[in-house]
Amino acid sequence: MGEPYEDSHLNGDSKKPELSFFITESQLREEFAHHQPLVARINNGSFGSCPASIIAAQRRWQLKFLQQPDDFFVNHLQSHILHSRTLVKHLINADDVDEVSIVDNATTAAAIVLQHVGWAFAKGRFQKGDAVVMLHCAFQAVKKSIEAYVTRAGGSVVVVQLPFPLSSTEEIVVAFRKGLARGKANGRKVRLAIIDHITSMPCVVIPVRELVRICREEGVDQVFVDAAHAIGSVHVDVKDIGADFYVSNLHKWFFCPPSVAFLHCRKLPVMPDLHHPVVSHEYGNGLAIESAWIGTRDYSSQLVVPEVLDFIDRFEGGIEGIRKRNHDAVVQMAEMLAKAWGTNLGSPPDMCPSMAMVGLPASLGISSDADASKLRTHLRDHFGVEVPLHYQAPKENEIEAENGDRDSLITGYARISHQVYNTVDDYHKFRDAINQLVQDMIKVLQRMGCRPINKTHKGHNHEGGVKIDSSKGEKLLVLGD
Amino acid sequence: MFLSRSLHKPFSATASSSSSSVSSMASHHLHHQNGDSTITTTHSPPSKKLKATPITPSELLAEFSHHHPSTARINNGSFGSCPASIIAAQRKYQLQYLQQPDDFYFNRLKPYILKTRSIIKDLINADHVDEISVVDNATTAAAIVLQHITWSFFESKFNKGDTAVMLHYAYGAVKKSVQAYVTRAGGEVIEVKLPFPLKSNDEIITEFKKALEKGKSNGRKIRLAVIDHVTSMPCVVIPVKELVKICRDEGVDRIFVDAAHAIGCAEVDMQDIGADFYTSNLHKWFFCPPSVAFLYSRKTDKIADLHHPVVSHEYGNGLAVESAWIGTRDYSAQLVLPEVMDFLSRFEGGIDGIRKRNHERVVEMGEMLAAVWGTHLGSPPKMCASLAMVGMPACLGISSDSDALKLRTHLRDCFGIEVPIYYRAPNDGEFNPITGYARISHQVYNTTEDYYKFRDAVNKLVNDAFTCALLSD
Repeated sequence: MGEPYEDSHLNGDSKKPELSFFITESQLREEFAHHQPLVARINNGSFGSCPASIIAAQRRWQLKFLQQPDDFFVNHLQSHILHSRTLVKHLINADDVDEVSIVDNATTAAAIVLQHVGWAFAKGRFQKGDAVVMLHCAFQAVKKSIEAYVTRAGGSVVVVQLPFPLSSTEEIVVAFRKGLARGKANGRKVRLAIIDHITSMPCVVIPVRELVRICREEGVDQVFVDAAHAIGSVHVDVKDIGADFYVSNLHKWFFCPPSVAFLHCRKLPVMPDLHHPVVSHEYGNGLAIESAWIGTRDYSSQLVVPEVLDFIDRFEGGIEGIRKRNHDAVVQMAEMLAKAWGTNLGSPPDMCPSMAMVGLPASLGISSDADASKLRTHLRDHFGVEVPLHYQAPKENEIEAENGDRDSLITGYARISHQVYNTVDDYHKFRDAINQLVQDMIKVLQRMGCRPINKTHKGHNHEGGVKIDSSKGEKLLVLGD
Repeated sequence: MFLSRSLHKPFSATASSSSSSVSSMASHHLHHQNGDSTITTTHSPPSKKLKATPITPSELLAEFSHHHPSTARINNGSFGSCPASIIAAQRKYQLQYLQQPDDFYFNRLKPYILKTRSIIKDLINADHVDEISVVDNATTAAAIVLQHITWSFFESKFNKGDTAVMLHYAYGAVKKSVQAYVTRAGGEVIEVKLPFPLKSNDEIITEFKKALEKGKSNGRKIRLAVIDHVTSMPCVVIPVKELVKICRDEGVDRIFVDAAHAIGCAEVDMQDIGADFYTSNLHKWFFCPPSVAFLYSRKTDKIADLHHPVVSHEYGNGLAVESAWIGTRDYSAQLVLPEVMDFLSRFEGGIDGIRKRNHERVVEMGEMLAAVWGTHLGSPPKMCASLAMVGMPACLGISSDSDALKLRTHLRDCFGIEVPIYYRAPNDGEFNPITGYARISHQVYNTTEDYYKFRDAVNKLVNDAFTCALLSD
């Protein structure tokens, strides 16, 4: 069974084991052999993934607790959490380990930061109507947390609309400036801006460093970067980014088991008075210490960071190498899909992390969130493809551009992920599934006696599909070449 | 529009699970029928329950063989314990998730948690499954209840200075939580000073009534009473039913019973006890892995707008639904109740039988130790659950909390005994007072040897003229 790697890691010893050879193909397959076979798992973004050797390490920690929990609590837990925090500090270029707290997930971190805002309103440090700024595509849990802690406490919320699809980061910067200015209208004070580093749906990399700078220029009190996806898929340097609060999940792209995240809190100018909402005897000893004991529970997922770093070392270029290859592969696959379907990417490659938004054929007729959800379920249940889908309502000017022709517009995007366990077959499977769906629609409509016409969408020939000609009120079947 | 499903055959990989069938996601099976060939389940649907085979002594040994050998583990009260077959069941759920987390999230998690809540509802005689939320631990439950109090102060439903009453022996985390959420929001806290050692429930009731009087003085309203069912240190069973009734008589707004230990070592009946909120940890005395607890919230006309502090997209859908999704994490500890019920059925009398035997044994062992050491129990047997407070010989010189902790560490490190020690300040004029009490536990894995080992260790310390003053910091 072996002991957890106590000694070498407790001292921050950076000596790696002698056998630091690169992981082979078959070892890699073994590491992820527990993934459901025959499922094209192209959704690492939602729940992440964890290699078998890390699961084994986690189990060793779990067993250690179960063997003698008192001894574990008194003699091991705190030092190992401190070790995890120290490793994270180095990873993210934080100044001080005091700034790094380990929590369950970004959702918990959001509650911590927002509860702090709630107290400020309740205690009169913030005035009723003072604003919190968020992106319109903020993660739903964060939106609800704002409702629960800010709106309920009398704060107002400014929602910044970001465009999608996008052609450049400049579009984001412009939209953000506009949104922030609107938020400050009527002399409202903006107490907190919540900015995603990588938005969830639709998924793009946000120029956080620039947006943080804009926030400072515009006198926003504090900035909270929700970077749930970031660690392991983009470069993370919290000093460079310069936010007050920064959170990322280690179980998404950093191979940790569910669940573990870090919340970085800049201690300048002063260490903010954040508290973990689950109060234990450690209350008042600083967020990092409070978070390291929130009652009896299984902390094992927070303890495997050393083992994860060893795992990452077995890849060429370490985490940077993994990141780069994931990005290159996902862009390549996205472009392959877009070409096969006659669609496009939702953003330029340089705004894609290890995920990409790929337009789905307009002929699928995704016209609501519910449609996207149903199609996603259908892909899972009938094709063994796991991929989240996003519904993007067409803008008025887009519809005009198509001469009022809504049905040629791309309204659905798939968010494909690439992690080390993915293969080209996963994306081919997805490609073929969509092609199959489109083909079947054509057959159905032919059976329904639809009149075929030839039409291309934006100059591309595509597979064909359904188009409602509202002027004639007929269903017309569009055939591609 | 998009294509109807009927054109496609359901995706049938060899490893596909029945839960990913074409039929709607609303087909939440409450039992874990599972066509997944890569995962075996240990439990069968309720309708096909076979008569459980009684557990043999050697099977019982095997179930707890992961416990550190050579440690006399007489502290089940702190962190509980979990049999090997339940750990194995938990790992199956963990693996299910890791295999296909989206499928797990969309198709399995909610029905599993609903099943857990249903089992708990029946266990504790609650009226409705809506009243049952599953949370990590009693510490979390306390934060939930107390945060609600905070909002009531902020939204001016309560007045500054309104009071919360709690026992002086309330758990450290709960005291801090009361500070963090009540004091910080402008409320005042009244502590009920209980004597220890105790002779009867009357001593508790008298002090409690006094504290309520104080809480109501000067026109204040008592907004919350926090009452332990089984106090932690020192450990006694509190007459909660009586105290709840007194609270109702005295017009206390809400009553929260912190029963962290109770389920599996005391009688837990929501109708009988009558509190508004009640929490207990299932990983202490109910054989669940770390960690899982329930928070019961009585359905009344008064809306108790409780929320989980970790807010997800489920916010506003009721505490039970909010608590069932607080972001991506490992919920597997919350899913093994069916397997635990199977485990319990292998013991004569089920959980009640276990409880009764634990109680009898711990009292027997407590009295044995007290007789050998010339001390006494800290409370009469009927005020002991599956734990007992046993006086330590006065000559050990336990004269502070720090001494008690050092002695505990010494017993762990040098004698292989795990037992928490409580320091009790002597009253004025007490002759040769007993100032230290060991809180011994008894759970199904304990043997008489565990307590003999403790007896002998303390005897040795006494014979060697050991005192806590000799221990370094």
